[in-house]
Amino acid sequence: MTYQTVGRSKPRVDAPAKVTGKALYPGDITYPDMLHMATLFAGRPHARVLAIDTAAAAAAPGVVAVFTAKDVPVNEYGMQRPDRPVLCGPGSAKAGGDVARFVGDQVALVVAETEAQARAALKLIKVEWEDLPLVLDPEAAMQPGAYQLHPDCPDNVTCSYHIRSGDVEAALTEADVVVEGVYLTPVQEHVYLQPEAGVAYIDAAGRVTVEVAGQWVHEDRKEIAHALDIPVDQVRVIYPAIGGAFGGREDMSVQITLALVAWRLAQRGIRRPVKTIWSRAESIIGHGKRHAMKLWARWGARQDGTLVAAEVKVIADGGAYCYTSNKVLGNTTLTCTGPYYIPNVSVDTYAVYTNHVPGAAFRGFGGPQGHFEAEGQMDKLAEALGIDPVELRLKNVLTDATPLPTGQPIPGGVGLTQTIIAAAQAAGWTQDADGHWHKPADGKWQMANDDTQYPIPNTQCPIKRGLGFACGFKNVGFSFGYQENSHARIELRGGTEIEEATLYIAGADVGQGHHTAMAQIAAETLGAPFERVKVVASDTATMQNAGSASASRLTYMGGNAVRGAAAQALVAWRNEDRPAVGDFKYLAPKTTTIDHETGQGRPNFAYGYVAQAVRVAVDIETGQVRIEQFISADDVGQAVNPQQVVGQIEGGVVQAVGYALLEDFRTDQGKVLTDKLSTYLIPTVLDIPEQLASIIVDVPDPNGPYGARGMGEMPYLPVAPAVAAAVYDAVGVRFDDFPLTAERVWRGLREAAGSAAGPVSE
Amino acid sequence: MNHTIHFTVNGERYNISVPSHHTLLQVLREQLVLTGAKNGCEAGECGACSVLITWPGAKRGEPVNSCLVLAPEADGAEIITIEGLMHDGQLDPLQDAFLAAGATQCGFCTPGVLVNARALLNRNPDPSETEIRETLVGNLCRCTGYIRIIEAIKMAARAGREVAR
Repeated sequence: MTYQTVGRSKPRVDAPAKVTGKALYPGDITYPDMLHMATLFAGRPHARVLAIDTAAAAAAPGVVAVFTAKDVPVNEYGMQRPDRPVLCGPGSAKAGGDVARFVGDQVALVVAETEAQARAALKLIKVEWEDLPLVLDPEAAMQPGAYQLHPDCPDNVTCSYHIRSGDVEAALTEADVVVEGVYLTPVQEHVYLQPEAGVAYIDAAGRVTVEVAGQWVHEDRKEIAHALDIPVDQVRVIYPAIGGAFGGREDMSVQITLALVAWRLAQRGIRRPVKTIWSRAESIIGHGKRHAMKLWARWGARQDGTLVAAEVKVIADGGAYCYTSNKVLGNTTLTCTGPYYIPNVSVDTYAVYTNHVPGAAFRGFGGPQGHFEAEGQMDKLAEALGIDPVELRLKNVLTDATPLPTGQPIPGGVGLTQTIIAAAQAAGWTQDADGHWHKPADGKWQMANDDTQYPIPNTQCPIKRGLGFACGFKNVGFSFGYQENSHARIELRGGTEIEEATLYIAGADVGQGHHTAMAQIAAETLGAPFERVKVVASDTATMQNAGSASASRLTYMGGNAVRGAAAQALVAWRNEDRPAVGDFKYLAPKTTTIDHETGQGRPNFAYGYVAQAVRVAVDIETGQVRIEQFISADDVGQAVNPQQVVGQIEGGVVQAVGYALLEDFRTDQGKVLTDKLSTYLIPTVLDIPEQLASIIVDVPDPNGPYGARGMGEMPYLPVAPAVAAAVYDAVGVRFDDFPLTAERVWRGLREAAGSAAGPVSE
Repeated sequence: MNHTIHFTVNGERYNISVPSHHTLLQVLREQLVLTGAKNGCEAGECGACSVLITWPGAKRGEPVNSCLVLAPEADGAEIITIEGLMHDGQLDPLQDAFLAAGATQCGFCTPGVLVNARALLNRNPDPSETEIRETLVGNLCRCTGYIRIIEAIKMAARAGREVAR
């Protein structure tokens, strides 16, 4: 469908300030007479604070105040479950609030005239610790007799889901082919470029105000108010420019501690702004990570390729606190059987408390882990059956007519078949007259543009090339019974024509381009030029809840809110109201939780779809894997801003290439070994695919604004399994774990070849 | 201990006292309140703090991680930060290209990338894609996947050659 503004690559409204250095991020904000806060982290993965002596720190030069657990009115927080103390230590009413459960737990806050003074005083705080047994293996932590990490959770299982559909045992017995696998997926660190920072103060209206980078101003406000035990309208949260998020800012970092400090100081008559900036190391130990998971799978199919059964068990390392483990695990539960119709399904998933850095939201919310197993199983089935991997997928893929394992049909407008065909054809797959799909012949692939061809170190080495394919789907929004909603307000000013439309929306622009997309939807609905829409965003004092910038939900929910507000404002405009105001809360179609025993229900109302093909070159002497070509076809329903959609695809793919090949988060006895950007490596420009093609597929979502569906996470989902399939195609060795670092691949190749290949240093 | 240093930043001359152990990045951000250069790691690993520095006696500016330069070392130098990339109120062709190509998302890496790209085009107005990629190896970006950034630099180089013609 063609629109005036939607579907056009309008310039980003936030970009001029960003390319000139004028955009202010939380760490760039300075106020007169500002104080500085530094945080004492536990540094121990599991220990009880027996006593804290802050006298020397309080007396140190420049120090204004030191705060500990006893200063927190309600010493707990957590987006899904308030299981984490704001500050660990004695003196609060929180049961278990004196225990640090991971190295990044926080113990004390020092406020001083300068940052250097605050940090220096941290070293003067004396903490008396009692080390407690470490719980590091989630499988062991679930067993009877394991050390209990939280008072109200006897088996350490944070949450679990189960799906029972059909008769899996019988179907597996009757299946012609059964493939099995045990898959391990790694932790991933977000590495948003902007470390956690913020400024807190009491505003002119007397509200405790925090300027910070997060993903949901209203949730931040709620959590601050809860910990301070004050009404939400006495708290204000404002987001300036946000330096990336990817899920890692979904949970609290400096929000509550900054608010606490400004509020406590004001009670002592000190009304001065307080600023804090975490170092990169503090950021890496201090915020949650993508959950490491172990997935056991047994899938069966008939000789003709029809999937008949899937049995999957998942154990996720939830780390020290719940964070959004229930949301993450819910998505793993739905995605671990892939985007396929399978009549007999048994799924059991568990997230388990340990003393690791908490598992948290990260682009894809458990979907990448589920897909690594599901798509790995499909690749193995394709081989076992002798069926082309694209054909096997097309034969089983979800359509408008097929139910999910949760019993209900998938919501309409399923674009999976279209994305699979688009990606396959772009990679050279062909379909013969009988309808069979054929992988392009080996060796046909050539780099199209020599200028982009990168020399592989030591060109004498034998390079093996391979082609892999994978696809995926994920829900849009939190759902699972949560009533998805979003609010927007529009004011129109002018005489006979709309001269200015002011859009108030609280949604966070974390870099994805949310504010531009919302301005486009407003302009489209109003029939006004894009340039006349002014966006005012992310301040709880002047706007209502738009919901979180996560779960690929904000264009969908916020877009429907903006569309509703704009339509209302137009009615008022025609009634000659000036300003003409539209104020609209979008309520998405209802969902349900899934039944705890059977998993039956309607957990979601919208999904996004993706299919990808990847060509790799593997140096079998060094184990180095390079991605020569990557094709991602994404069903986005309707691209609101095609350039930004492509930006999301490219950014998502490269982030997932890091996950698949490079990013190796290491801990030892709960301590983080990779707390620097020189030890935790993310892709540089030299690590990206030499070619990356984005294909936009547009099967409209029936409920999305102008047909748009969520898309920010989808390009991430199948990358790791597609790369693993390509590596297998290249070297004939299956890797059911990753990252596929040179070392892991090299070892895998040596193991496969046996000890004849030479000594393997251990 | 403090040092008094004389240097030029974005065409303005400064004569200021700086603590010996402070980095150029700290002085730019805290004393001069030029917050365009970002602190992403304070260890020379991310490139977000890149600025152009022309050392005393040198002919051309080179990009440095300002978190790795001690402020007293900048005595006598000429420095260009992201705030100094515009000329006479006009955006640098690179800034225009970043807007047109959609090369900025969260934008935190953008100042460092732009400064580094400016240095590249100053020494080579017609870089190959390989040279562009090699130039950017010290600038981490977590949002864009680098592709739009590479496109934008190519676009700016083309625009620069058009002007030169």
